[in-house]
Amino acid sequence: MKRIDKGVTRGGTIAVEIDGHRTEVYPGETVAVAVLAAHTLRFREDRGGAPRGMFCNMGTCSECTVWVTDETGRAVRRRACMTPACEGMRIFTAEPEDPA
Amino acid sequence: MTDHDVVIVGGGSAGLAAARQLLDAGISPCIIDEQPRPGGQIARQPPREFTVGEWLNGGLYTNIRGLIEEVGSDPRLIWRGGTSVAGIMPGDRGAGFRLTLAGKGLEEVRARRVLIAGGCYDMPVAFPGWTVPGVMSVGAVQTLLKSQQVLTGERIAIFGTHPLMIVLAAQIVRAGGQVASVNFAQGFRQMLALGLSHGIASLRAPGALMAAGSEMAFLRRKGVRIRFGTGVRRAEAGDKGALSHLVLQSDGNDIAEPCDIAASCYGFLPQSDLVRQVGADVRWSDPAGGWEAEHDGAMRASVPGLYVAGETTGVAGSEIAMAEGAIAGLSIALDAGAITSQFAQTGMRAAQRTLERQRGFAGLLRQIADPTDFMPDADPDTLLCRCEDISAATIDATITQVAAAGDGFGADAVKLRCRAGMGLCQGRSCEHSVMRRIAQATARPVEQIDGYRSRFPARPLSIGDMIED
Repeated sequence: MKRIDKGVTRGGTIAVEIDGHRTEVYPGETVAVAVLAAHTLRFREDRGGAPRGMFCNMGTCSECTVWVTDETGRAVRRRACMTPACEGMRIFTAEPEDPA
Repeated sequence: MTDHDVVIVGGGSAGLAAARQLLDAGISPCIIDEQPRPGGQIARQPPREFTVGEWLNGGLYTNIRGLIEEVGSDPRLIWRGGTSVAGIMPGDRGAGFRLTLAGKGLEEVRARRVLIAGGCYDMPVAFPGWTVPGVMSVGAVQTLLKSQQVLTGERIAIFGTHPLMIVLAAQIVRAGGQVASVNFAQGFRQMLALGLSHGIASLRAPGALMAAGSEMAFLRRKGVRIRFGTGVRRAEAGDKGALSHLVLQSDGNDIAEPCDIAASCYGFLPQSDLVRQVGADVRWSDPAGGWEAEHDGAMRASVPGLYVAGETTGVAGSEIAMAEGAIAGLSIALDAGAITSQFAQTGMRAAQRTLERQRGFAGLLRQIADPTDFMPDADPDTLLCRCEDISAATIDATITQVAAAGDGFGADAVKLRCRAGMGLCQGRSCEHSVMRRIAQATARPVEQIDGYRSRFPARPLSIGDMIED
């Protein structure tokens, strides 16, 4: 994934964590873009252990479902393409045991 | 619980056009949309935190941009962005509707009248390797570009039957990205013949056709390869499990096309699960498939108080969606007693003229893009249900089993036995392919096969939200 810079102004970066790895993203970016920005197309694994990516980017297919921490630090399942990334958010591509 | 006179589900072309009519009639509609900002998928806006210098310039977007500016800034509009509608049911004693919303937690709202203008989504077409990360819909690549201002890959291959592929390829190139190739499964001569036979009808709305032609010339100048008569056979993964190349086929020869993103574009299905959930009539959408909402000339659905407009009633583009939205808005205002019938009719006639102007082109586009004869074949182990990981072989075996017990069954009979369609997407991805396979196996026309029953919730809810509320 590559951000378009020409003619686009973004705010200062915010930090999120993807499977324990820190990544910088911009305010307004979705969790899907945060995962793509970490140079991975893998959003989850299916029942057979095969990697799976996002498909529709409009909330229809749920292929990009990941776990993210909410304001209380609890991990909730969300469609990555429909969820804005927030400062300090922890994103998991497999169900976390205990994010807190 | 909040009460609204009018709830509009979907803030794209149709929903905004309806809102404009309602606002003019002195009614404040509440628009509920999953996106934070108005515009729908056609004009999916960048986040508020971004400043984008040249956003969606070009004639195709003039009207929808005008609508966003006018309606989106009206203080009387009740805008509920970032909110999903998970359920709709008739209200108490049959008056109005109750809607279950999911945003930050769950919420119920009541509305006397509801317009469903849910738009459409890319038809998910199964082929070997389509679950490899990097294979996605054209809509995904395009909305990531329009809204999030990112290029999904270093080298993007595009395949399918729909001319939208040309529009996306040009947008990628203008944004500084690289298009590996654009691959139309159908032949060029066949497309040209259709275009010529429709010449007169399409000339009444030449804008979009001419745009497609000039974009094609632009892509050729930029050295982008556009192939015709070239279908996709499979997607192959590299070492890390992500996409390494597509295998295409032309004249019986395989072509390996290296790419890190492959965008699939066989057409679009109406978003109509809420229409079906509330029990309004739908019909099979020909030829691409999916269920489109039925309506009368004033966009009233078969359930009193329910209205439909835009791609939910059949995929025909933004201009038609806006005209239908305007008719629906006038019709709601009329039924609410806010305008006279003479006023409504004058406004509806103007919108009808737009519909007539655009229909020739929309019909031509449907025929040109018709995927029926060009769908790639799934292998037995290709997953048709992406949520529950159910393969084509399992679904076919289930169809055989169910068929042994008698005729006349629909997609639900298959779902109950093998779990296809039971996952988070509620069957939106696999329903059409399960129906097509039932049709083929039982030699029935696909439009006579019952689809999955549309169930609550239409969008995934977390169990935590449900328990708390």
